[in-house]
Amino acid sequence: MRLLRRVVVVVLVALCVGVVIGYQSDRPAAATPDPVVFVPSPGFYKNFSPAVRATLADVYWLYTIQYYGEHLNSDHRLDSLPAMVRLVTALSPHFTEAYFFGAFAMIDVGRPDVAYALLQEGFKANPDDWRFPFYLGFFAYTYAKGQQKDQVAAQWYADAARLPGAPPFVSRLAAELATKGSSKQTAIDLWTQVFGQGDKYAQQKAVTALDQLLPKDKVAREKAVAALKGSVSPAMFDQLVAELFQGYR
Amino acid sequence: MPAAVSVVGRAFGERNVTITDDRHPGVRVLEVRDLHKTVAVGFRRRKVDILNGVDLEVDEGDVFGLLGPNGAGKTTTLKVVLGLMRPTSGSVTLGVHGLAELGYLPENPYFYDYLTGSEFLRFCARLFSLDAGQRDQRVTAILADVGLERAAAVQLRKYSKGMLQRIGIAQALINEPRFVLLDEPMTGLDPIGRVEVREIIQRLHERGTTVLFNSHILADVAALCTRIAIMRAGRVVWQGAVDEALSKSPGGDLESFFMDVVKS
Amino acid sequence: MKRVAAVAVNTFRETIRDRILGVIILFALAMIVASLWLASISLGQEDRMIKDFGLVAISLFGLIVAVFVAASLVRKEVEKRTVFIIFSKPVSRAEFIWGKFLGLAATMFTVLAGMTVFLFVLAWIVARSPSGSLLVAGLLIYLELLVVMAMTMLFSTMTSAILASVWGICVYAAGQLSHNVLSLSKLGHSGIAHAMSLAVFYLVPNLSAVDIRAAVVGEGAVSWTSLAAWSVYLLAYLVVALVVATLIFRRKEF
Repeated sequence: MRLLRRVVVVVLVALCVGVVIGYQSDRPAAATPDPVVFVPSPGFYKNFSPAVRATLADVYWLYTIQYYGEHLNSDHRLDSLPAMVRLVTALSPHFTEAYFFGAFAMIDVGRPDVAYALLQEGFKANPDDWRFPFYLGFFAYTYAKGQQKDQVAAQWYADAARLPGAPPFVSRLAAELATKGSSKQTAIDLWTQVFGQGDKYAQQKAVTALDQLLPKDKVAREKAVAALKGSVSPAMFDQLVAELFQGYR
Repeated sequence: MPAAVSVVGRAFGERNVTITDDRHPGVRVLEVRDLHKTVAVGFRRRKVDILNGVDLEVDEGDVFGLLGPNGAGKTTTLKVVLGLMRPTSGSVTLGVHGLAELGYLPENPYFYDYLTGSEFLRFCARLFSLDAGQRDQRVTAILADVGLERAAAVQLRKYSKGMLQRIGIAQALINEPRFVLLDEPMTGLDPIGRVEVREIIQRLHERGTTVLFNSHILADVAALCTRIAIMRAGRVVWQGAVDEALSKSPGGDLESFFMDVVKS
Repeated sequence: MKRVAAVAVNTFRETIRDRILGVIILFALAMIVASLWLASISLGQEDRMIKDFGLVAISLFGLIVAVFVAASLVRKEVEKRTVFIIFSKPVSRAEFIWGKFLGLAATMFTVLAGMTVFLFVLAWIVARSPSGSLLVAGLLIYLELLVVMAMTMLFSTMTSAILASVWGICVYAAGQLSHNVLSLSKLGHSGIAHAMSLAVFYLVPNLSAVDIRAAVVGEGAVSWTSLAAWSVYLLAYLVVALVVATLIFRRKEF
């Protein structure tokens, strides 16, 4: 009798464990995430204290990254991302990295127009931040089409050079664009600067692009990379070299 | 002397209690006159009379037993004497120098779980404003008195019921009081524990300390007390020397006298 | 004063040894470490994330400790009748309340200091530079919680421990929304609504006057004068709360 009771208990527990595991393992296969999600308008939070808004911005930031990760590899649509970026930056106006991330993310899904618009909004909210015209110039050059793009890019870089805190190379780039116009070298220079200035995410993008632009042959590549030495800090340069020569040794 | 009154006044907050400072041997240590206490009970604040005119006299050196059935008002009387409750009317006159000369052991005492025996007694000693040297002396002495030297460093939550009762008595005696009030000191003790408490009370009596205790255990009362008072329904129905009670008792013992008085 | 110190030391010993405290602290530390994980998926914003979420964790767990320990502090003594032991000795009701509060304040300081230093070290490792503002933030959270503790103790003299803790949490929440109450009071059309909002504004402690957490993550700066003024306000507030608690406690019978 006792043995029977024991067996029953064991079987019951095993069944329950099975149900628990089975249900959970079924989850990912279920719904595909909707690219359009509800993003509350920033006005909803305007009465909260700045400390609470800053924390909410952080929470929504994580939510934004999750959203990005979910959709990039599935349906490749980031319809709600601009709204999320706007919410995060409305809640936390100094969180400018959100704009830059948003811009690059929209490039990933083939919407440079939206990226450009986001950066323009960010610049309007942060008119003294040289990084906005810097990235606007870069995006104009790299992703715009048409005759005017070089001039537009040069103009943006010139604007950036005038703002406080802009590093010296920015004016050099403006000059380069104004005079030489489109060339592979210009593109390499611009991406190198993006690597030098951006966060990890922007750096990843820069390495990928540079890898395409630079010669595949090792000797030629070494020569091309050596020419970039003065345009970024020594630490950044070493890091760039390491990234570009991965798999070459 | 104003000092006596002010010490007590601060401790009690507001109360209509008079404190005098006559310390002549053989004189009243406690006089309670026509003490009334009414409380509002329950949601509808129904008025209940707990004390209906209590009269008590305790002289210096007495071992005074306060007896009565449950709900007679014994504990309430003690609480009013100590200032834990305010009387509705009546007077309490204490012939000691305020709470600094009183010791009290409540019924079913509870102490701080995470303190050790000696930490707790040291805390009690500090409440009497004894200086550090005096404190340590007293704590060591009292621990020896109640037989808890070996458990001094153990946390109180690990104490047995008997040990808790003994630490309770220790804190009541930490300030070498002239007047000690013990509420049911024998509750929950095994026979050995009861004998030990009896011995402690005996020693207090020999030293001249006045003791008042509530108890249900009439055998202890008969053995220890010099005077007793019997309470019923919020008033004292009989007060006098134990010998007198025994002589008047129908059965020659305290039980039958008690039943006689309480039932009448 | 000596008796106040005696009660304070006693309270500190008793609360700091309570094992529940250790459990809560462990949870807080776990939450802080969890914010590390959150930071790692924040795409380069680890610095900001760990500071922000770490301070939120400290506030939250500090609040739980503050409210539940403060509520039970006085209540437990009354229910378990240790008050009989205390008040049969020459200790006044005021000395008791103040001693209890100071002991609790010491316990709270120990708990918060531990958590804040832990976060400080963690943030230092992640950001590769020390952030002194974190320590200031920890101190301000401590002051906020002192006020909440004083209010909770006040409530506990009037009602049960559970109700007192709930009200304590409500005071904290209301305090965070203090500036909203002010703007609300300006919206009301009727004189009564306006008067009520104003009354609430003055009665509820203003816990949102200085946004130290926002300053720590870079959203605005905080001046030392505004910090000092706010600290004095908080200290004055808790003195009033404790005096009221003492007055109520004086009337109590046991």
